[in-house]
Amino acid sequence: MELAITGVGIVSGLGVGREAFHSALSDAAAARAKAFRGASEVLEAFPDANTAEVWDWDPKPWLGDKGHRNNDQLTKYLIAAAKQALIDAGIKDAEGVFLRYAGERVGISSATAYGSLDAIAELNRVAELEDPRYINPQRFPNTVINAAAGYVSIWEGLMAPNTTIVDGNCGSLDAVLSAYTHLAFGRADAMLVGGGEIVCESLYVALAKLGVLADMRSDGLGISVGEGAAFLVVEDAERAWERSANVLGYIRGYGTAFDAPQSEAVLVHAGSDAVQAAIQLALAEAEIEPDEVDVVASARCGLPSIDDAELHGIRAVFGHDVCVVAPKQLTGENFGAAGVFGMVMALAWMNGARAEPRVAGPKPGEVGTAVVVSVGYYGNVSAVVVTKE
Amino acid sequence: MQRVFVTGVGVVSSLGYGRQAFLDATVAGKSAAREVALFDTSGMDRNIACEVHDFRPRDFLSAAETRRTGRCSQFALVASRMAVEDAGLSEEQLAGRRTAVIFGTTMGEANLLGQLDRKWIHEGEQAVSLARLPAYGTTLLPIHVARAFGAAGMVQTLPAACAAGNYAIGYAADQIRLGRADVVICGAAEVIEKLQYAGFVRLGAMAPDRSRPFDKDRSGLLVGEGAGALVLESARHAEARGATLLAEVGGYGLACDAHHITRPEPSGAGSARAMREAIRASGITPRDVTFLNAHGTATPTNDTVESRVVRDIFGDYRVPLTSLKGGIGHCMGAASAIEAVSCVLSIVHGVIPPTINFETLDPVCDVDVVTEATERPVDVVLNNSLAFGGYDAVVAFAKPGRLPEPYAGLASAAHAEADARDAADALDDEEAG
Repeated sequence: MELAITGVGIVSGLGVGREAFHSALSDAAAARAKAFRGASEVLEAFPDANTAEVWDWDPKPWLGDKGHRNNDQLTKYLIAAAKQALIDAGIKDAEGVFLRYAGERVGISSATAYGSLDAIAELNRVAELEDPRYINPQRFPNTVINAAAGYVSIWEGLMAPNTTIVDGNCGSLDAVLSAYTHLAFGRADAMLVGGGEIVCESLYVALAKLGVLADMRSDGLGISVGEGAAFLVVEDAERAWERSANVLGYIRGYGTAFDAPQSEAVLVHAGSDAVQAAIQLALAEAEIEPDEVDVVASARCGLPSIDDAELHGIRAVFGHDVCVVAPKQLTGENFGAAGVFGMVMALAWMNGARAEPRVAGPKPGEVGTAVVVSVGYYGNVSAVVVTKE
Repeated sequence: MQRVFVTGVGVVSSLGYGRQAFLDATVAGKSAAREVALFDTSGMDRNIACEVHDFRPRDFLSAAETRRTGRCSQFALVASRMAVEDAGLSEEQLAGRRTAVIFGTTMGEANLLGQLDRKWIHEGEQAVSLARLPAYGTTLLPIHVARAFGAAGMVQTLPAACAAGNYAIGYAADQIRLGRADVVICGAAEVIEKLQYAGFVRLGAMAPDRSRPFDKDRSGLLVGEGAGALVLESARHAEARGATLLAEVGGYGLACDAHHITRPEPSGAGSARAMREAIRASGITPRDVTFLNAHGTATPTNDTVESRVVRDIFGDYRVPLTSLKGGIGHCMGAASAIEAVSCVLSIVHGVIPPTINFETLDPVCDVDVVTEATERPVDVVLNNSLAFGGYDAVVAFAKPGRLPEPYAGLASAAHAEADARDAADALDDEEAG
């Protein structure tokens, strides 16, 4: 696997756009304060919720001001991230004209775990409290999980394969495999790979009920929810060099594994064996030894049983001497989008941003190689290797 | 590059459980259309669907499995268990990281989410069942299946709306060809939920009585539900254990219309690109296709566009086509998985099931609809699907030995297979060490 990353688009609580996101990482404490600003703007029933929302979001620069009345928030985030990434990669100009590749040769592999929950909950409210006859047919498609990515293809004229991946927290790393597969079989010349999530009330109700939210616990543990969307443009490295693209980094390996829990009653769990296997598969494919890795962008989320299993698996591969960073302490838990946020962060570290907040291991020197890990709540784990050169 | 074979199939359908019952009912032209029993349709102006009746999960699943799962996962798990049994694979043969599970769906555990939402809406968040919340997880279909068989490799969910079955099967074949798995249990599952039903009614897509694909008086679709599962194996793995090869998975074609979120692009250009690619990657010509399993939803637009694509691809070759949706309805995400099972059974048994409720061809649909069960040798079938999001996906299935060798995929994919195989060998060495 040798995928060149030639563009980045990102919508997040840390900033909109690659450069804004990268520069926010120069000071981890300030970045955290920027992302977790305080009172939620979208959770009316939870005004004190401490979430990493996309604050002061102005979609107009990316979406214009017409034609989006029935698009949900996820769709808007995805379109904005896609547009940025295509321009950043030099595939489109600022007016949306294709400069490289035809629309038939550019596709999307996009992940979300809970992106359609809000639309489903709202239309269920309409059906239950009003009348099923009042369900807006223009909004009904938003209840279908792949609709948001479908809208990206429509708005950007992308006619190569459009794939949505729903693998819980592993989605946007698994989207790397999807994009790679379509490129390998010649179905596209360039792929947008990433995903998005939105903060919404139904998700928050569920997490509150499960007792896993950090701002409802007194022990300092738990999940802090984040949102946003990000896409990388990936293409075959040789094609990228041929077109003199600005290569931001490379994805050189992918691995995934699943471990079932031991107890028959359990659903939510993580296994360190799967963490170890996913990382080892990714490293073996990249032909990179563990001691060549400068930093691990972990999936650390605040739930001890998941985090402990992950750290154990990381240490089984790297020992205690690798720097382990927790991106979600800055971005919040953005579930299916977490992997692509981790990859964007890894690119920033390779361009001089400090690899923080560190949760284990030594401070890294210059970052040339990073492993990004995603850990699902149901035993699935995925990992990718990102390199600067 | 590894060739990919279907070695087992399983199906939960509104016309019966298991391959034989399903084959018998589809060939006999039965219909599952009944009044909706799952929920109250009053005020919706429509009340017919193709539901899976008398589904008793405890006939197939353990008590713990039943507790952990919603109805959609139960369909997926039951169909998978049938497919694995059909393939003659033991849990020992499936255990480990070289077995993957890839499932498609549109909305997954929609019934469960509907129940949780209704509690929340009518009784407040304190009434929401804590115990049932984790069972909604969006990627649980393949997780439950992997867990049942000790599969420990890739577990992935592709929510590709009404093309999800083909997405899962095509992607599963991709991963075997890329050397990332030896065996993949794949397919799709879907349940009928009130919100979806109401949504299709509001889109004006729901028929009042019958689904009549390609008929001039067709008036829309009926929704259906169920699951189809296939066991795919690499040639190496299947041959090593002496497996019965039911069919070969041929080319996989994909495209996106980028036109409208619910309606197909009128010229059918995207659908035609996908179909052309499935034929090209199979190493065959259109004339080698014995019949087409049409998407055939019986909505005015779908059948018109699909017919246009058929003439574009097949020209003066009058390829027979059939749609099962008259009998089992449109099973949404599960449709192309359940119909893939039918395609495989057509190859095995040499019979094309009929399109039921078809009486008079719509003049704008210049196609050759199979109206009676037709016994004939079936060499190659194309399974066509379209979906919300402008998705176009086609998978070819062939009688073993009928497709030319080697697989007509690209050279870059052959290199990729070698790389992935090396990575897997390295992991085996680590685990052995």
